[in-house]
Amino acid sequence: MLELSNLSVSEGRAEHLFDVTVGFRKGRLTTLLGRTGAGKTTMMRAIAGLAETDGGRIALDGKDWSRLAPWQRPVAMVTQQFINYPHLSVLDNVAFPLVRRNVLQDKAREAARDMLGRVGLGTMIDRRPSQLSGGQQQRVAIARALVKKAPVVLLDEPFVNLDYKLREGLREELVDLLKAERETIVIYASTDPREALQMGDDVILMAEGRAIQSGEPQNVYARPGTTRAAEVVSDPPINLIGMEVSGGQLRLDRLADLPARALGRDLPAGRYTLGLRAHSIRQGGDLSARVSLTEVSGSETVTHLQAAGQALVMLERTVTNHALGTTIALSLDLGEALVFDAQGRLIEKEPVHG
Amino acid sequence: MRTFYLALKYLAVLLWSAFVIFPFLWMISTSFKTANAVTAGAKWLPWLQFEPSLAGWRSLFGGVGGINILKPYANSAIVTLSGSAIALVLGTLAAYGLSRFTFKAGPLRNADITFFFISQRIMPPIVLAIPFFLMLRFLGLLDTLPGLILIYVAMLMPIAVWVMVDFFNSVPRGLDEMAWMDGCTPVTTFLRVILPNALPGLVVAAMFCLIFGWNDFFFAFTMTFTEVQLLPVSLVALNSSVTPWWSLSAAAIVSVAPLAVLAFVVERFLSRGGLAGAVR
Amino acid sequence: MAEIILENLAHAYAPGAPYALKPLHMTWRNGGTYALLGPSGCGKSTMLNIISGLLRPSEGRVLFDGQDVTALDTGKRNIAQVFQVPVIYKSMTVGENLGFPLVCRGASPQKIKARVETVAERLGLTQWLKRPANALTADMKQLVSLGRGLVREDVAAILLDEPLTVIDPQLKFDLRRILKEINEEFRVTMVLVTHDQTEALTFAEEIVVMNHGEVVQMGSPTELFERPATEHVGWFIGSPAMNFLPAVRDSDRIVVPGTALSVTVPAALPDGELKIGFRPEHATLAHSGGDLEGTVGRIWFEGVDEVVGIDQGAHRVKVRVSGTSPARTGATVAVSVPGDRLCVFVNGKRLPSD
Repeated sequence: MLELSNLSVSEGRAEHLFDVTVGFRKGRLTTLLGRTGAGKTTMMRAIAGLAETDGGRIALDGKDWSRLAPWQRPVAMVTQQFINYPHLSVLDNVAFPLVRRNVLQDKAREAARDMLGRVGLGTMIDRRPSQLSGGQQQRVAIARALVKKAPVVLLDEPFVNLDYKLREGLREELVDLLKAERETIVIYASTDPREALQMGDDVILMAEGRAIQSGEPQNVYARPGTTRAAEVVSDPPINLIGMEVSGGQLRLDRLADLPARALGRDLPAGRYTLGLRAHSIRQGGDLSARVSLTEVSGSETVTHLQAAGQALVMLERTVTNHALGTTIALSLDLGEALVFDAQGRLIEKEPVHG
Repeated sequence: MRTFYLALKYLAVLLWSAFVIFPFLWMISTSFKTANAVTAGAKWLPWLQFEPSLAGWRSLFGGVGGINILKPYANSAIVTLSGSAIALVLGTLAAYGLSRFTFKAGPLRNADITFFFISQRIMPPIVLAIPFFLMLRFLGLLDTLPGLILIYVAMLMPIAVWVMVDFFNSVPRGLDEMAWMDGCTPVTTFLRVILPNALPGLVVAAMFCLIFGWNDFFFAFTMTFTEVQLLPVSLVALNSSVTPWWSLSAAAIVSVAPLAVLAFVVERFLSRGGLAGAVR
Repeated sequence: MAEIILENLAHAYAPGAPYALKPLHMTWRNGGTYALLGPSGCGKSTMLNIISGLLRPSEGRVLFDGQDVTALDTGKRNIAQVFQVPVIYKSMTVGENLGFPLVCRGASPQKIKARVETVAERLGLTQWLKRPANALTADMKQLVSLGRGLVREDVAAILLDEPLTVIDPQLKFDLRRILKEINEEFRVTMVLVTHDQTEALTFAEEIVVMNHGEVVQMGSPTELFERPATEHVGWFIGSPAMNFLPAVRDSDRIVVPGTALSVTVPAALPDGELKIGFRPEHATLAHSGGDLEGTVGRIWFEGVDEVVGIDQGAHRVKVRVSGTSPARTGATVAVSVPGDRLCVFVNGKRLPSD
């Protein structure tokens, strides 16, 4: 297991890390999910030894890495920008890390050839990276990262610079490639919640330089610990509505008053934040909202609305194009709603007794 | 209409080429003339307007009233090549350091240190004449090849640093980091990853060093006397009361030839491009 | 505001070279929004550059409101183009940047001031007018690029070449909204080039799907989704792609062997490779019954949905399920697809259904 304990990084680029403690398990793909600037790249660079840490510890199976220079760490990395050695052929590019380890050139080339076959570049081994397309260049980078069988493999949004269909395909290929690596710790950074949830065996949510939650995708999605975590993990965005509970009524800020039983659980009087996922807002009801943008993605429609000064997001599983500026009637379904306390922490639903 | 503009463009290029090449053609033609041909008005075409003669050329190889150019030629070659080579090696190493690592000397940073290197070339050489002379004398290296090579290294290294720092700065740092991830120490990174990709820059730096070194007259003149003679200095001896234009022309051609060949060879290499596509 | 006609347009970069843009004929109405959608290298940027005048087509004509502009320089066509990378004049302030096109055309200072203020207010740039343009973030710089196009009241069309590529995902929404609002308000013909289908589907009334220099289909988002003209469109639009299963003719029906998926044979059936396709969103899962039975091979958890991969023999079919899939990995499951959602493809082209 790779453990980061109280890791802080404060110099360098805009990103920083503050007191991060996380663990990465062997044989699992852990995705780091967070917006740009959340600290994902900084964390990876710290693990690789490319960023100086200001405190804290990085250890693999208990062995402290603080004294190890980047070239001494058993880490492989694939970056966002396509980085390959321009003066070497594709084959030598992939053989390079093995040759550096004093593996005989023939054996290294053989292993490289094998790996390139697995990423589908068997016919391109004699070309130079500059002669390959973006997707192919990243495949070379991935082959090179995997060929040396490093215990830790870091992938920093490797497909973000490729067009979206290629990205989809490469993601699948990557997961298939990694299935065979039982002992490897794979860390994959992403800004796309759907990608992170889909790919990861474990997910770590990051925001403002901190790791705010970690766990299996289903758990993290169903029970985000804070409103911030809920924001990071939801796509389409989650609706966070201020709520006042008093006298058997739920007063949703400026939006609606609902009977307390609509929530399906008892809450003591007080101030809360209601987390409503986009599919919990439906057309037809008492709430009136103005359309600010309709986003169509083939089979679903995500509509951004303004209601009483509050921005709302609605997901419909049909293709409807609500015209800009029109007013539509909505209703809110609190059945799957999340409730956060005044400090933004999740209040778990009590298990049903009896 | 388009063909008219095209013709105009070609004409302009032709005129300019003629303007540039003419002195060289004149020089070549003059080197085959004798005294009479030169003084009796402008004559351009051999055999048609004058009798070609090898007198000018022979004077370079121990002929009448001439010199023997072979030894100075060899000396120039040795000094220029060695000086350039050493300057290139040291300069490239310095440039890599300045490009990749952060240095602080009081309030001075990398950019200042780089400028310090380059500023050496701003001074007129004459300012350095006396200090260099005294230093070489102290070391007992006056009028020797090693002494001259030392001077050339000092004068050529700034050029190497100047070209290579710029070049290394354009090589993305991501490449170094990738090499580190693959197990290269900084030294191995430099030798196996950065340097192979720095070939265009090295070629340019080498070109500049060779040109400046080969053409240098001042230091060759002031630091050598009898034991060692370099080409530019040796040509001075060709002069006499009657300026031997034919010998001088031949000498000029012989001096320029290596650089011309070099430029021709290098130009084709350079045009094949450099680091395109390393990091997109 | 102009109607744009591309008349028998084609482009090859050198005489005798293969077409970068295959011959096409297209009319874009005044004030409409269009998107050119396709993978990298499909020819969409070539087409855009021909419309803007940066590239002269080797064949065909471009007409603005009936006028032949093929030989006209970009400047004379009154086109505003926003590129992938924000193009701003670094030495000027935001206000000067916005006013620049008018300055070049010799407009009076009062007019310039008025237009700049109007456009800046529309784009939310008013408080930045006096600041150096270089100080802005990438997304604001794109707004400046866009604004420069809008200050000219007679702008024929705004062409956008993957303008949101450098923008952070969370800011993309704001920019998309502004683009839509601008289009509604100014009624300028807008053409967007992108490889992101959501962007295309959200933005455009009609989408031109391109592949390998060819226009594959032009239609509304719904048309493309429900009635793709070719397998490529079915694959490219939608995430995940359409499911394609090899089919054969069986007397009066076209069937997928081993399943109950079948379609009546249309009147004129050409010879060729037959496939039946259906969208993952149109299929439903049940424990038994249904048109196709298989085992659940893999489930992709995407938060609000799950995508279930079902294996039947050599085929892998994907079905999108809201919430949680009823069948888990390894279970046998039955897939049902309504008959009207099945598409028949012959040699890659869809047969129109009756």
